[in-house]
Amino acid sequence: MDRVAARINRMLIMVPLILREEGASIGELCRALDVSEKELMEDLDTLWLCGLPSYTPLDLIDRRIEGDRVYLSMADYFRRPLTVTRQEALTLLVAGRALISAGFFEEKGPLGSALEKVEGLLSEEQKGDVEDIAQRIEVELDSYSGRWWEEIEKGIEIGQNIVLEYYSYSRDEVTEREVEPFSLVWSRGHWYFLAWCHLAQDTRLFRLDRIKSVEPTGHKAARSAEAEFYVPELVGEYRPGRKAHHVKLRFLGREGRRLAEEWPAAVFTDNPDGSVTVEFRTRNLTWLSNYLLKFGDRFQIESPGELEVMVKEKVTELLGVYGRDES
Amino acid sequence: MDKIERLINLTAYLLDRGHPVTLEQLSTTVYADHEGGGEALRRMFGRDKDELRDMGIELEAVTAAGGEEVGYTISREKYYLPQIDLTPQERIALGMVSRLFLGSGTPFSGPAHSAMLKLAFDARAGHPELEVPSMRWVDVPRERGTLDTILDALVRRKVLSFSYRSLDAGEPLKREVEPYGLLNRRGSWYLVGRCRVREEVRCFKLDRITSKVGRNKKSPRSADFEVPTDFDLQKEARWEWLLPCEEEVKARVSFAPRLAFAFESGRANVVTSKRLKDGTLKVTYRVGDPEEFVDWVLEFGADARIISPPELVAMARERLQGVLRSLGGEDG
Repeated sequence: MDRVAARINRMLIMVPLILREEGASIGELCRALDVSEKELMEDLDTLWLCGLPSYTPLDLIDRRIEGDRVYLSMADYFRRPLTVTRQEALTLLVAGRALISAGFFEEKGPLGSALEKVEGLLSEEQKGDVEDIAQRIEVELDSYSGRWWEEIEKGIEIGQNIVLEYYSYSRDEVTEREVEPFSLVWSRGHWYFLAWCHLAQDTRLFRLDRIKSVEPTGHKAARSAEAEFYVPELVGEYRPGRKAHHVKLRFLGREGRRLAEEWPAAVFTDNPDGSVTVEFRTRNLTWLSNYLLKFGDRFQIESPGELEVMVKEKVTELLGVYGRDES
Repeated sequence: MDKIERLINLTAYLLDRGHPVTLEQLSTTVYADHEGGGEALRRMFGRDKDELRDMGIELEAVTAAGGEEVGYTISREKYYLPQIDLTPQERIALGMVSRLFLGSGTPFSGPAHSAMLKLAFDARAGHPELEVPSMRWVDVPRERGTLDTILDALVRRKVLSFSYRSLDAGEPLKREVEPYGLLNRRGSWYLVGRCRVREEVRCFKLDRITSKVGRNKKSPRSADFEVPTDFDLQKEARWEWLLPCEEEVKARVSFAPRLAFAFESGRANVVTSKRLKDGTLKVTYRVGDPEEFVDWVLEFGADARIISPPELVAMARERLQGVLRSLGGEDG
């Protein structure tokens, strides 16, 4: 949707929310519509210039602001929002089918009947169209059968802090921390737990399968999640400090390009011989010396020399173990 | 009057009137300050009508009985969101569904947000909004617009063009693709469509697109192709590496106490697990993809090792010896 369409769409939802006798709180509107106060005011200014012919002040939408509240009048024709659009119905169907396939809902349960009611708002032609397109779009989610799901969901639901024992792969250590739970997040093929971390004093994503234990604290959570966040910023290894190591690796072309898809923060350079050079920074080399083992003879370390020593030591240690098994 | 005001005024006027309005009437009201001639006005109105339709607002052309003049109207019945009669369980389910894509960085974020506000509209007035456990879907950040363009072309059935480099290809190849389907698997997006260069249906991983994605701009309101009626997204996307091997392998792994809790973090299914006195955990898995399984165990470094079967042990050993060969150390 372009900028104009997005703004009009927002304004047509905004007007009926304000058009009540009691008006609406500006703060709540900003939160609900996910806009800044400045953006909201710009929308209200534009609406103030709109209305019916002959567009004299008496025909235009009237806007009044008192303290934190805003009131609108002379816009009775926008008393209810625009009905659910084709795009919105499509989004709900795609999301609904993802949650049903992953086993979070049953096909015949309340979600199925609710989606039918939403589709009932479309015209027959739209409905056929949306169903056809929804058949061809699929987002796959893993069902999560592991431990901690219920405990975390409960923490989110009742707004209660949790103490986590968490294994950080990038630091190669298990640490204990109190967190304020926000939500469960599916991203890049893994389930994460998004929370405010008291240890890091920042928002963090915790991979569910790296959580060692979960303990409710009884402390009431004090924060709420922001609507938008950027995943790599929250994953530790992408925000190295000044002490980070500069790593330079060379992979066979195929491997290198596959890694480029997985590591958005690294710099990739194609070499004339078809190999790919990967450069990035990391605070800790231990995880990397483990991570590289699976590439066998398909990579080389250009720097740091320290990493090469670590990898060789690890391989020698492991070969000792695997070698003994053979006999 | 700027475009946003004009489109809102047009919608307001037609909703308020409730009966058809002719272009002549519009020219003295909504378009009163328009300075072109009749033809220019007709074109502008046509564009406005198309834009509103894209937003979900349908302007219907009605001919009065016996009359020659065409009038335009927005049906109030079709425009206004009706009260939706939902049970509490249905409301919770829809709440979860509409929140799934909030802030996801996909073209679904916006519609998910507006759908959520609309579905909560009547609940908002009286009852407090039901709190639902929040589950979200977040995309890998990529060049903004790629996915928007692809989704838009899929919906309108317009041909896409882009350069694409498959993993094994040295140079990117220019492609023209009829977008049939879109799939997100393990966090990556795939476009499934008929490649006009290869003349067959193929899957394209979006990460491997090396250029801007262009959409055929000619006659935007008419489709460029038909999707075959027997097109089946799941069938096209049943890739070999996802299929279980002919014979599933049973593998045993020993975990050091420190990381034993993470024994379920891979994709293989756990059959049995046994904890020894010293905290070591021995786990038996049913393995579908041996390569992926060995990769996963090696990521644990010295904290996990494969005990059996000998074939998988040999695979792990081969990887490790390969590392030494490549790093120029003595071969083990």
